[in-house]
Amino acid sequence: MESKYALFSGSCLCLAAVQYLLQRGQLGCVVLVEAEPNPDLVQLQQFLHHHQIPMLQYKTESDDALIAELDRLGVNSGLVYLFRHKVRSKLIDYFAGRFLNIHPSALPDYRGPMPVFWQLKEGAETIRLTLHEVTEQLDGGAIATHIDLPVHPFDTSQCLHQKIAQMVPALLEQFTQQQAAGTLTWQAQSEDIEVDGERCEPRYAAFVQVDDLLIDWQRHTSSEIVNLARAANAELGGARFKFREGMLQLMQASSMDCQLTGIKPGTVLELDRVKGLLVKTKDGAVRLDTVLTEQGIFDGYRFAILFGLEPGLAVAPTSSARM
Amino acid sequence: MEKHQTHSVTTADYADPKVDQLLKHTVRNQLESLLKAKLTTAQRQQALTQSFTEAMTLIFSTTQATHAQLSAAFEAMYEQAVQSMTQAQLSEELLTRQYISPTGLIMSPINCRHTIKDIYRIQGYVKGIDKAVRGMLSHKKSLTILYPACGPFAPLLLPLLSYYKEQHAFNGEQIKVLFVDTHPGAIVSLRQLISDLQLGEFVADIIEEDATTYEPQESIDLLVLEAMQHGFTREGQLAIAKHLVKFLAMDGWMIPHSVSIKGMMVHGETEFNQQWKDAEYCHSGHLQESALQERVELGELMRIDKSALLQMQELALEDGVRVVAANTITLPTGVEDMPERILAVYAQITTFDGEGLDQYDSGITHPKPDMSFYVDAKPRELDHMHFVANSGDTVQFYYQLSGMPGFVPVKV
Repeated sequence: MESKYALFSGSCLCLAAVQYLLQRGQLGCVVLVEAEPNPDLVQLQQFLHHHQIPMLQYKTESDDALIAELDRLGVNSGLVYLFRHKVRSKLIDYFAGRFLNIHPSALPDYRGPMPVFWQLKEGAETIRLTLHEVTEQLDGGAIATHIDLPVHPFDTSQCLHQKIAQMVPALLEQFTQQQAAGTLTWQAQSEDIEVDGERCEPRYAAFVQVDDLLIDWQRHTSSEIVNLARAANAELGGARFKFREGMLQLMQASSMDCQLTGIKPGTVLELDRVKGLLVKTKDGAVRLDTVLTEQGIFDGYRFAILFGLEPGLAVAPTSSARM
Repeated sequence: MEKHQTHSVTTADYADPKVDQLLKHTVRNQLESLLKAKLTTAQRQQALTQSFTEAMTLIFSTTQATHAQLSAAFEAMYEQAVQSMTQAQLSEELLTRQYISPTGLIMSPINCRHTIKDIYRIQGYVKGIDKAVRGMLSHKKSLTILYPACGPFAPLLLPLLSYYKEQHAFNGEQIKVLFVDTHPGAIVSLRQLISDLQLGEFVADIIEEDATTYEPQESIDLLVLEAMQHGFTREGQLAIAKHLVKFLAMDGWMIPHSVSIKGMMVHGETEFNQQWKDAEYCHSGHLQESALQERVELGELMRIDKSALLQMQELALEDGVRVVAANTITLPTGVEDMPERILAVYAQITTFDGEGLDQYDSGITHPKPDMSFYVDAKPRELDHMHFVANSGDTVQFYYQLSGMPGFVPVKV
């Protein structure tokens, strides 16, 4: 039986998948997220309207109307990509085992809504794009196939989302070919993962809270700060650091060598028009490349000059509450 | 031999510098007055020299100058020195580069410029240096002064040399100075200022080098050390002193002659706020008796003079940090409100022969609170930066010779 897909999404990043399915004559409709209009969603709707692709609306209260529409359009397969809702069993049952999800992690690791952020934060060098069956357990269904994507050291979350979107057609093509060749094997997800030769619990990619974005100068290494900033760039507004009474946003940082000893992490080491603003970390130093403030976006050098942050001072000095 | 030559100027050579935008913004008031006055270069140099000698005349006056008089004179000196700095046409890179070196903070010329306004620091030093110079030249034909980490204005010597020249007290045959600074921007500014002040005859050399590694070829009669901040922290004063003291002649002197660094447990609010709310300015002469009574003195943490420096032994810790042992103190007992007190470290400086600076007279003797030192109290969140002790404990202080020098307490 020829597959006719309903693509569940809410972002223009699904357009590569839309075009792939269109070219193969396999796109029945796109099911849109239930959300207030936002530029990304509006642009997607305009594209679909222009290409006369049927649009269905997901409703959180009931699947009945949606299922009826899917049936009317003759849709027999589902593909979920960048879709914020957890689908219910009625919808899963409708597709009867032909309901797939694209998840950007090596499942079962990093199940959850923000896998790209958490992997970048941890400094992942490769991200796996996994095609798996949708089940009632979130991101827990059997795996059909996958593609590994190298992470560039400068990639931000936004960069990676775009690269992943471009890889989706290749993933779907791989799936189709394996299916046609009879080489597709569905692999159940294991309950644990292997990290450095040891079995451990998979990490969960939860929604990101502001505390997750906070730089702890005493605890974080240079690479952890660099990775946090790029993981949170740009959608999440960068890593946060305390500065005087407020919180500033670090959009980009670079790891720097530092041989100086006996200096507290968080101390400004150097201010130079060419070299920029260097801050000591527990294992070296970072250059604050781009800082977002209420007053504007600055490179580290200009930020320091404007805000009076000098070498020898701490970015977030010890509280004077004892005075 | 003097390496730096003053360039000849004509009266038609107007002072209209091409100034970096950042410096232009920072010193716009001084620039405005310079441009408004429409002075020729010669007139500007004359006004500069006059401001320097007038400030020194007040300092050496037999009648005590008022704080207002001194403030006005030092402000004029500062404004003129900044105008000279603008003539040096420093690039933004040179103006603003500031960094921590392995032995201490290297300040940018733009941040160094205020030290020439530090009235009582300059007074204490200049009077001490003057006594030392006069003492030496009473039995020697000439002397060599080494001034490491002198900054863009060399404020402890250039005003005094201007005064000597104007008074015909001493000349370049009698006094030669080696100026050393590692910051290229400071060196460019200093050359300009010396040129503008026409003090070239006193210059033995102007050397762009790290003072902690510089090795003078000649024997040094006077070693002038100013590089320090409050609480004897941040700058590499001890590393510089420890390295250069060995180049002093047998009968050579170090200025300051001695530095005593002391600790005290205080109520921060009384010590740093209440005590000064009615004072016109911070000075040891304005210390409140009630605040002094409230202090719990811990005693001397460290004493630095020529003999102490020559005997000082460095210890290398596991993480590569080098330290020297300072004094051991016993924390006093029976102080009921000890948990509410904070440690403050201050310096008392004897420059030479009874001259010097007491606590609060200058930025360098201003007590520095240490928020990480807890006695009979516990921090809300303990981390490895905190020091926690109890009354009666014996504490050994070490002085860390790292990029951020300062005291490190260790419980014995």
